[in-house]
Amino acid sequence: MRATLRGWWMVAVAGLAAGCGGGGDGPPPVVDLESLDPQGKEVVFWYQHQRAREQALQEMIADFNGTNPHGIRVRGEFAGSYGDIYNKMVVGLQGGSVADLVVAYQNQAREYLVADGIVDLIPYMTSPRWGLSQAAAADYVEAFLLQDRIGGRQIALPPNRSIEVLYYNIDWLRELGAPGPPATWEVFARLCRAARDKPFSGNPAGTRSLGFVLDEDASRAASMTFSRGGDFLDPAGTSYRLDTPEMAVSLQLMQELAAEGAVDLMGEAYGDQTAFNIGEALFMLRSTSGLPFVQEGVASGAGFDWGVAAPPQVGPEPVVNFYGASISVCRTTPERQLAAWLFLKWFTEPPQQARWVKASNYFPARKSTRRLLADYLEQNPRYSSAYRLLEYGKAEPSLPGYEAVRRLISSTVVRVVQGAEVESALSRLQQEAQATLQDH
Amino acid sequence: MATAGLIMAGVLAAFPFVWMVLSSFMTRGETLRRAALPSSLQWANYSVAWSEEDFGLYFVNSVIISVLVVGGTLLFSLMAAYPLARIRFPGREAIFVVILATLMVPETVTMVPNFLTVSWLHRVSPVPWLNNWPALTIPFMTSAFSVFLLRQFMRGIPGELWESARIDGAGHLRFLFQVVLPLCRAPLLTVGMLAFIGSWNALGWPLLVTNTPAWRPIAVGLQKFVTEAGPEIHLQMAGAVIATVPVLVVYALVQREFTEGISMSGMKG
Repeated sequence: MRATLRGWWMVAVAGLAAGCGGGGDGPPPVVDLESLDPQGKEVVFWYQHQRAREQALQEMIADFNGTNPHGIRVRGEFAGSYGDIYNKMVVGLQGGSVADLVVAYQNQAREYLVADGIVDLIPYMTSPRWGLSQAAAADYVEAFLLQDRIGGRQIALPPNRSIEVLYYNIDWLRELGAPGPPATWEVFARLCRAARDKPFSGNPAGTRSLGFVLDEDASRAASMTFSRGGDFLDPAGTSYRLDTPEMAVSLQLMQELAAEGAVDLMGEAYGDQTAFNIGEALFMLRSTSGLPFVQEGVASGAGFDWGVAAPPQVGPEPVVNFYGASISVCRTTPERQLAAWLFLKWFTEPPQQARWVKASNYFPARKSTRRLLADYLEQNPRYSSAYRLLEYGKAEPSLPGYEAVRRLISSTVVRVVQGAEVESALSRLQQEAQATLQDH
Repeated sequence: MATAGLIMAGVLAAFPFVWMVLSSFMTRGETLRRAALPSSLQWANYSVAWSEEDFGLYFVNSVIISVLVVGGTLLFSLMAAYPLARIRFPGREAIFVVILATLMVPETVTMVPNFLTVSWLHRVSPVPWLNNWPALTIPFMTSAFSVFLLRQFMRGIPGELWESARIDGAGHLRFLFQVVLPLCRAPLLTVGMLAFIGSWNALGWPLLVTNTPAWRPIAVGLQKFVTEAGPEIHLQMAGAVIATVPVLVVYALVQREFTEGISMSGMKG
């Protein structure tokens, strides 16, 4: 299915590249933002949230609809997974029917920007009438904002950020005589071997005992590489650098541990989570947005005490991979764009962000939200631990076509863990990743 | 040896289905622990799956969409296959080749032009197409494979029947509906079955052309049980059982004709 979808993405993206943008031919007309009236406009918001998160978001949308002074009505619509939304956007841009607000990863938003399907938010942010005060503008987490800034244009705002942390089984670590989570990759490797040799007492089924189940997702590889001081891009941020020593050492370690039976590749969707929940795996690398889910899973699984920490590191300070989709304003009509902006501005204000954090476990887009989260941070020490790591965040590339590179990285991880020679696998990955830049 | 092989293949084929049913009766903890059997039957999973996430609405939508698609496919495929099989006219073979050639085009490649067409029709038609049944049904009301299958069967109908019908004063339309149609029961049921499965399982296209639950099918409902943080396997499998039952019922009803229809087409699985 994934493969076939890729086929028509290519056709659709080719159409976009040919200039079938959402905004029609030529540059968009210059509009005086200050004189626009968004009164009574209806705005459609495509998102990927489901179940509890969707319910919370719908409640917030209802509050906005009931309280905003302009009579703007936002209609939130579940539009499928991130991939489904991307498909809808790519196809919709050609058919002239897209939403007003859309959830998008940076590389996806970049493609919409190229197709003139989304707008630069800076004029809205700086508008005297509709924009942000200086204090409010300075209140946004800069690292998050910068992730969505492309060539001086702000292509989205970031209310859905999370970071990748190391989940660890405290009870099992205690049984292994470890004082805490591993601070270095050497200790991590030693504990993985120890976990292989001494299964967790809370896993009586004892089907297997591992240090770690490796999800081949590119974000896991990025976390490991970043924690060693590496990067996926060159210093200019324009070319891929995937054959670095940091990446090589990371994959080499996984290969060795897998060969020794201390690490296994994830064989099923969410298999790493399952293995962690039932006490089969000592560690798990995952997003903080899954904290409540892991809590529920461990409680209905092996029921142990667990915690989160920065992944093992090489330097004096941790480096964590932070990511998350943002929300872009699509190019529609000037009035609807303004109405969409006003909702986005409202949604990223601290009171709303505090609500959203509690519903989603994402990190807030604005720093001052923390003041409103004091109780929540106290009641959720794991989230609080992760929150402290925010300042050490580093983002994955947002180059167009990164989605394809992520797939290349995943298959390389699998090949290496299954025994392929690291250097040649990374060299091939580097070449293939660079080639995608020419396609975009 | 052959029997053992068949039994083995049968067990392998049945395993995912059995796993789905067993998981649908488990607690969340049991699915996480990969328990082989549920400790007690969690019937509540079915009521939760049905009542949450508009699943009931999606189910009804799928029934309506499938009925329309099957009806349309049977009608239009029959009408297209008949002249290709029974009427001699210039360009007949060329048209048939063109129809067959469309089988070589991956369905996903046609999504973009289909969407553009449907968007245009949405703008010009008095009945809205997007977020409505026309976009979900009309583009799928015929298929090259259905036309091919029916044409192959119709070519095997003896010419004497046509001659007799002519003597009795019948035209092509009457011959089609009074003589050919009853003879085509097996291939028609096969075509109907395939159309039903296709529309029942559709996910990508419905997500493209709908934005609200009003006309979304059951596959979208199933997807809602896989959240960003992880799946709720017990609910998802309960939903999957609910979604599978109609397909099994329809298949059980037409199984013999389905096999017959496929074998008569000259194709092998």
